[in-house]
Amino acid sequence: MNHAPPARSPSDLTAEAAFKDWIRRLVKGAAELEALEAGQIDAVMDAATGSAILLPGAQAALQGSSRLVLSALEALPGEVCVLDAAGTVVMTNKAWRAFVVARAGAGLGVSEGANFLAACRNAGAPERVHAEAVAAGLREVLAGRRKLFRCEYVCQFPGGHCAFTLTIAGIAQDGAVHAVVTRENVTERKRARLARGSGRAKTSRIAAVARAGTPNRLLASLPAKEYERLLAGLELVKLSYGDVLYEPGEQMRYAYFPSDCLVSLLTVVEGHRALEVGLVGREGMVGSRLALGITVSPVRALVQATGMAVRIKSARFLQEFRRSPALQRALFRFTDALMIQVTQTAACNRFHVVEARLARWLLMTRERLLSGEFHLTHEFLADMLGVRRAGVTAAASALQRQKLIRYQRGIITILDQQGLELAACSCYRHPQVMGLEAAT
Amino acid sequence: MARKRTKASAAGAPVTTVVVMRLYVAGTAPNSVKAIANLKAICRRYLKDGYKLEIVDVCEHPRRALTDGVVVTPSLAKLSPAPASNVIGNLSDTGSVLAALGLHAGAME
Repeated sequence: MNHAPPARSPSDLTAEAAFKDWIRRLVKGAAELEALEAGQIDAVMDAATGSAILLPGAQAALQGSSRLVLSALEALPGEVCVLDAAGTVVMTNKAWRAFVVARAGAGLGVSEGANFLAACRNAGAPERVHAEAVAAGLREVLAGRRKLFRCEYVCQFPGGHCAFTLTIAGIAQDGAVHAVVTRENVTERKRARLARGSGRAKTSRIAAVARAGTPNRLLASLPAKEYERLLAGLELVKLSYGDVLYEPGEQMRYAYFPSDCLVSLLTVVEGHRALEVGLVGREGMVGSRLALGITVSPVRALVQATGMAVRIKSARFLQEFRRSPALQRALFRFTDALMIQVTQTAACNRFHVVEARLARWLLMTRERLLSGEFHLTHEFLADMLGVRRAGVTAAASALQRQKLIRYQRGIITILDQQGLELAACSCYRHPQVMGLEAAT
Repeated sequence: MARKRTKASAAGAPVTTVVVMRLYVAGTAPNSVKAIANLKAICRRYLKDGYKLEIVDVCEHPRRALTDGVVVTPSLAKLSPAPASNVIGNLSDTGSVLAALGLHAGAME
């Protein structure tokens, strides 16, 4: 934006003289006036407005340097936008605007002046899950609870699907936290990686699995070759809150690898409410008993957070399991961790107070969902912890009083991660579950 | 602003004199940049390690500058040793800066 300086009209000159006069009145001391006349002053403090008034020379220089920064931002090939403390977009670069125009505002394509959090809330059904995770991350950053949030998400556009890596970094500004959002389109890279060496797999299936966004850590730990072999048998499914994947004593038709959903394993004892004995998220697999050669489920597997997962038919899984040493190793490691989790949960349910168990359970949920905010009812929590509803209400109120969580209209928000860790019983972090360390 | 006082300075008998200064500037405006460069050169030459300098950007912290009684920037305030004094402008006049800091060019060299 290079404009030629406008010709000075008589009114400009009068305004200039009035400005100088006003400045002279603000500058009272003799030494100050002398420096002002000598042109050695950059700014004058105005007590009335509580701000610094830049003199024309300083203003031009500062504008020049901020223009340079803005030009650099503008020229960056990555998509960048800057948000204020309320999440409103205050600045975007050329690449970001081009994306917004190309996608007609869909898929978190937010324009200047619009609110990023509102855009996440209003995101269409296909990207809703990811938009919620992004909004939760952004809220964490703006609240100063974390410096950086990174995630992968997928958008559905008329021309197909696109995968993105989105990073949100906090910037301290005037005592508040602002955020800079950078986004990179990784669709091509992802497709190339998935397509390599998997000639037999159908392209549509590869695209579908790529669409899952946040990958399952167990699958991600497999070497590319073995993963690609498995990929041919994988299909993407959306698991919704309340879905029952297995009932005790039933055949397990599929094995599930959660991406961003969460599955509870419940023991059902006649005459009592179901009790949670295990929790499986992106670190593992639901139906790990298949690895032991048993195809009947001992537990009820209940989806407790909506999200995506990939599944594979049990027979196909067993076939791949037999020929893939890496999958065997990963599964044995996970089964061992799950077994310890189940054992620990049994002891925990017997010995620890509800409040500490609730804290542990919230922390475990958080690290599997990568989000500090989730939708839960007291009823549901009572099932998870094996206590009466009143017990959950009391425990949740206690944690809320300590400002560790907020519980409003069925939405629990973790406010203080460290505090909650202190409030949790020792069963949390014991043992360290493989695959959860890296991304928390 | 609450400032910690060492035992020595509280007793009025400093063991080694450390000059404590605060320079108020307006971002990277020309006179402010010059003032920082000039002051750093003077400190290097005459004070070696015997100084503490805090730079306050009035564009970022206008309230603080107003509370400290700053009227224009750049402006240098010597806070200790007493007496307090200040210099206005881009600090290109080394003589007046040294005088304000209680130093004399000849004696210090």
